[in-house]
Amino acid sequence: MTTTSDSPLAVDFCGLRFNTPLVLLSGCVGFGEEYTRVAGFSNRDAGAICLKGTTGAARLGNTPHRIYETPEGMLNAIGLQNPGVDKVVREILPTLDFTETRFIANVSGSTIEEYEEVTRRFDDSPIDAIEINISCPNVKEGGVAFGNDPAMSARVVEACRKLTNKPLITKLSPNQTDIAANARGCIEAGTDAFAVINTLMGMAIDIESRTPIIGNNQGGLSGPAIKPVALLKVHQVYQVCRDHGIPIIGQGGITTAEDALEFLIAGATAVGIGTALFYDPLICGKINRGITAYLERHGLQSVQQLTGTLALNSPRPARTCC
Amino acid sequence: MTSHKPHRDTIFLEEAEILSHEAYAGEQYILRVQAPLCAERALPGSFVHIQCDRSKPLRRPISIMRASAKQGWVDFLYKAVGEGTRLLAQRKKGELLSMLGPIGVPFKLNPERSIPLLIGGGVGMPPMIFIAETLAGNPAYKPMVILGSEVPFPFKPQPSSILVPEMPEGVIASMPLLDDWHIPSRLASLQGFPGCHEGYVTDLARHWLSELSMEARTQVEIFSCGPHPMLEGVAKLAAEFDLPCQVSLEEFMACGVGGCAGCVVEVETATGPAMKRVCVDGPVFDSRTVFPS
Repeated sequence: MTTTSDSPLAVDFCGLRFNTPLVLLSGCVGFGEEYTRVAGFSNRDAGAICLKGTTGAARLGNTPHRIYETPEGMLNAIGLQNPGVDKVVREILPTLDFTETRFIANVSGSTIEEYEEVTRRFDDSPIDAIEINISCPNVKEGGVAFGNDPAMSARVVEACRKLTNKPLITKLSPNQTDIAANARGCIEAGTDAFAVINTLMGMAIDIESRTPIIGNNQGGLSGPAIKPVALLKVHQVYQVCRDHGIPIIGQGGITTAEDALEFLIAGATAVGIGTALFYDPLICGKINRGITAYLERHGLQSVQQLTGTLALNSPRPARTCC
Repeated sequence: MTSHKPHRDTIFLEEAEILSHEAYAGEQYILRVQAPLCAERALPGSFVHIQCDRSKPLRRPISIMRASAKQGWVDFLYKAVGEGTRLLAQRKKGELLSMLGPIGVPFKLNPERSIPLLIGGGVGMPPMIFIAETLAGNPAYKPMVILGSEVPFPFKPQPSSILVPEMPEGVIASMPLLDDWHIPSRLASLQGFPGCHEGYVTDLARHWLSELSMEARTQVEIFSCGPHPMLEGVAKLAAEFDLPCQVSLEEFMACGVGGCAGCVVEVETATGPAMKRVCVDGPVFDSRTVFPS
């Protein structure tokens, strides 16, 4: 991995320069402009922005309620509502300011052919990279049904790989037995990077009506509640990626600079911010400043020096209990 | 590159100090906060996204009832209905609330329709009061306000000093603040409160509309906010009298700025059904698109 010497926060991700290691996650920031409504928010505070999951045809998405707050997190079941790839490429991408940050498309589908069609369209667009979403838990076909089957995951990646030379990022599901085995297959199929993890499947029930609160009956759990799970998955996938030079966007419950640093140490090159934006739309600047302060305190020139520096089974430093 | 993007920098994150927080019957609360950026830009129909408590960090959308651009305060009426709003109810004067606002497409008054009929139910009353305040002293409009509640009203109803001949006999209770603004109001409830119409707001509105002259009726536009079944009733009433009608909706909400598509409502459009975000496509919608007949 090359190091960018100009800014301690800059990272090289599959040959793309990210201004900071922060990536705004797909499904949280619409098609890249929504959060700019908030005064003080800037796309420049993020290294990259993953656009809303996009399918071949427009999708209405799931019936409300689509979101619900749970302890230390939230459930969502949006169901890939999007206007379809044609509208995204022809009408939305031209409105984005590519000098502000990197924009990553999120490709979803119900069939391999649909993944191919959407990838082909984004390949012929100014988009900087393509994320393959084989882990959406909120659709009946495709999504996590592909992502939880290592052979199927690899087939989707292989199919998309043939259609683009843009960096391909595979978004992995935590709802599977052996995430490392799946990652191995995806590397062989040609992925350039991983996003680890998507949401964990969950449910909430209204005990008065004895019905699920989420319209889709179940949803994906995000937020601080899933952070320890996500960290372990990043650590496991990093063991597979390290020797191949495959970078990881570590994501799941990051709300502070300290959380982000944990993911970087576990093996992530970049870190995803999602639910935390709902809590604090100006969180990116705060996390960037916190990471910078940490680098200074530890005498590090680049955030990239942190990736995968976790020392396992080493003598523990003294730590105050509770 | 931002000059051609008018949506940018229109919503403000403020640490809003609680100036007053009063409890009323039925777990209703009136909250006043100091939030000058929001107060300066708030319009009837706008809402804010409040972090009720650090322990429940996902924000809750709450409609704005009044705003003083000059003094920088914003008022809300809310009901403690879930964990978030119950935590909000415990917050004290002097504490800070993280508040994002103002958000949303506001109600739009039509100069061609000089008689706005404002129908508010429960915690749907605030946007109606906000519209009324903006119309106070404006001779171009002659609004009528009908408010309904199944718990005691969060104000002391009093016999109105403004005569409304089209109202049923004995329905004289009004909201004093609206009387002060010289805007006629009448109240409805199934609870038998004195001076109130015993029935639904829609029944009272139907009576009033029926008593209006044909000419006056052509000047009416309905604005409404309240529980979903009430809004459905209001939409039917509007269709019955062939009147334009704007309704303000609510839905569980995550980001509040259009990013997550969590708060959608299904609406009819020229090209078929669509899912619109309550936060930035709404919360105000044409009733015919939400409740197609």
